[in-house]
Amino acid sequence: MTYVAMTANDLRDGEPVFWAEGRWVKPFLQAELFATSAPAEAALSAARTQPGTVVDPYMIDVVLVDGLPIPTAYRERVRALGPTIHPDIGKQAVGGEVVQAMRAYAGAARSSGRLNLISRK
Amino acid sequence: MYRYNAIDKSIIEDRAAEFRDQVARRLGGELTEEQFKPLRLMNGLYLQLHAYMLRVAIPYGTLSSTQLRGLARIGRIYDKGYAHFTTRTNLQFNWIKLEQAPDILDALAAVDLHAIQTSGNCIRNTTADPYAGATADEVDDPRVWAEAIRQWSTLHPEFSFLPRKFKIAVTASAKDRTVARAHDIGLVLHRAGDGGLAFAVMVGGGMGRTPYLGSVIRGHLPASQLLSYLTAILRVYNRHGRRDNIYKARIKILVAALGADEFAQQVENEWAQMDCSATDLPDAHLAGIRAGFASVPFEALPPVSAVLQVARKTDLALARFVRNNVRPHKMPGYAIVNVSLKAPGEVPGDCTSEQMDALADIADRYGHREIRVTHEQNLVLPHVKLDDLAAVHTALRAVGLASPNINLASDIVACPGMDYCTLANTRAIPVAQAIAARFADTDLAERIGELKIKISGCINACGHHHVAHIGILGVDKKGEEFYQLTLGGSGAEDASLGSLLGPAVPHDQIVPAVEALIDTYLRERRETERFLDTYRRVGPTPFKQAAYVEAH
Repeated sequence: MTYVAMTANDLRDGEPVFWAEGRWVKPFLQAELFATSAPAEAALSAARTQPGTVVDPYMIDVVLVDGLPIPTAYRERVRALGPTIHPDIGKQAVGGEVVQAMRAYAGAARSSGRLNLISRK
Repeated sequence: MYRYNAIDKSIIEDRAAEFRDQVARRLGGELTEEQFKPLRLMNGLYLQLHAYMLRVAIPYGTLSSTQLRGLARIGRIYDKGYAHFTTRTNLQFNWIKLEQAPDILDALAAVDLHAIQTSGNCIRNTTADPYAGATADEVDDPRVWAEAIRQWSTLHPEFSFLPRKFKIAVTASAKDRTVARAHDIGLVLHRAGDGGLAFAVMVGGGMGRTPYLGSVIRGHLPASQLLSYLTAILRVYNRHGRRDNIYKARIKILVAALGADEFAQQVENEWAQMDCSATDLPDAHLAGIRAGFASVPFEALPPVSAVLQVARKTDLALARFVRNNVRPHKMPGYAIVNVSLKAPGEVPGDCTSEQMDALADIADRYGHREIRVTHEQNLVLPHVKLDDLAAVHTALRAVGLASPNINLASDIVACPGMDYCTLANTRAIPVAQAIAARFADTDLAERIGELKIKISGCINACGHHHVAHIGILGVDKKGEEFYQLTLGGSGAEDASLGSLLGPAVPHDQIVPAVEALIDTYLRERRETERFLDTYRRVGPTPFKQAAYVEAH
């Protein structure tokens, strides 16, 4: 089963952030997962009313692997982790099983939410 | 080197103050992102995958040791202790916070640096020969003309909103170290028949999704008329450039559509009806710029250093460094030292604050306080005494900057790719690291000889893959990283665009494919041929056969 989560970049520091029940959080592990489109669309509408908090909110596809959420697009895994060339820098520096699971995940897909964002511009 | 005057300083200080106000209004909710984005881009501030990225202009790739220390300090305080030198000879900080950006612009202004015109559809930082003022094969110092272009183009009201970005290169040497033919305008300075300085003016080069080499539209432009002629070119482009389609908006598309002859005629017509005296620099002003670059107090030295001769015999690492990284200087007893930012395993173009500080110290002690940046993401100490080479080598080695691999297989250019860049389709840096690791053995790399490998993570070609002997372009296939290979490109005086070899290969097959290409070259080469020479002689067939046998 696939889910969607909502992401954006924090206005003040530019860091990727994720939507979690009405607020933005920085660890991907805490992202709220939507199984159906209606609440996801509602969250996106709510996010777009917060232009002073984040930049460019969009949806990303997520799968659960052994109960751990993993973005299906490689690009989104890089955003959720940090540069692949510096495993000690960025969000991934905290380590843990979700970081390991995201690094180990071999699936590939385009970041459809990002592409929608680009086409909307 | 040239020092900013009071006007220059006030411009960058005023801009920093203006941006502080704009950031405050954005953070306070007075400006929307739509309103703010063009303002931050005018100050080189991009929003990338992990944070904001600040692109700092290094005017024509020339830095003083004071400026390099200033950049090191910014990296230490506001970033994560490192920064990235780009193929445009600029510097990018990867981990910038918007709320700290105004303080960073102030810190840059304190050392006469800024981020003005490092983004947007304006005239960007001019590329110049990194060996300027040091190499014997130049007819003039190209920095004089690059500085004139900087003064003319900075905040130029007519050319601040062009159809698309605009890049100019200046070289005064038969050896092109600027990729002049792949710039919107490439300027090659030479002595005309009457002995006067003249430019060959090439227009319409560029990389990206539609690569072109520039065409010469005027073979002998008297140097003193440079700025009026550039103005005429920009006016024709501003009038007819394709503002309706971002993919067709660069001047290369206009020149290709009109034809170089017709474009040249339109420029001549524009130029003929201009009041050139209002634009061209007065001789006295140009002399003032020139004086700013003439201050290196060279000593009278013998052409051969006995100290170095002895040291090279006993220190094989030094001998290799001198062989691969050191080039002749115009003054007897001096040398040009290339500092590789391509230590195998490291990120091409990345430099830590510690390394910047160390290099600034080396430049102070041994290099007349000057550092240059190359489009191949390396640095240069342009004026080092032969007697000091051993000490410089030792000091560089202490901070991991003594890799003796300039122009060799591990001296690979790579854009930031998907590790940082929001435009990228694939990663570029890990590919460069994997190939560099394969050819990290310098004996092997020296046997292979000059080999320019350049990697771009998307079609925008920031990694200059079109002008690589072996170019690698990352493409997205249903979310997976694949890489196209192009062969036969050159960014030097024998400029050419690479040709696509065949289908893209997956990430894990790119190193075997490059190995196969190099093995083919070693098998086919004659005498002193470089990879590029052999490819040009035998064509793609044997390379194609080898790469696709190995990669599939």
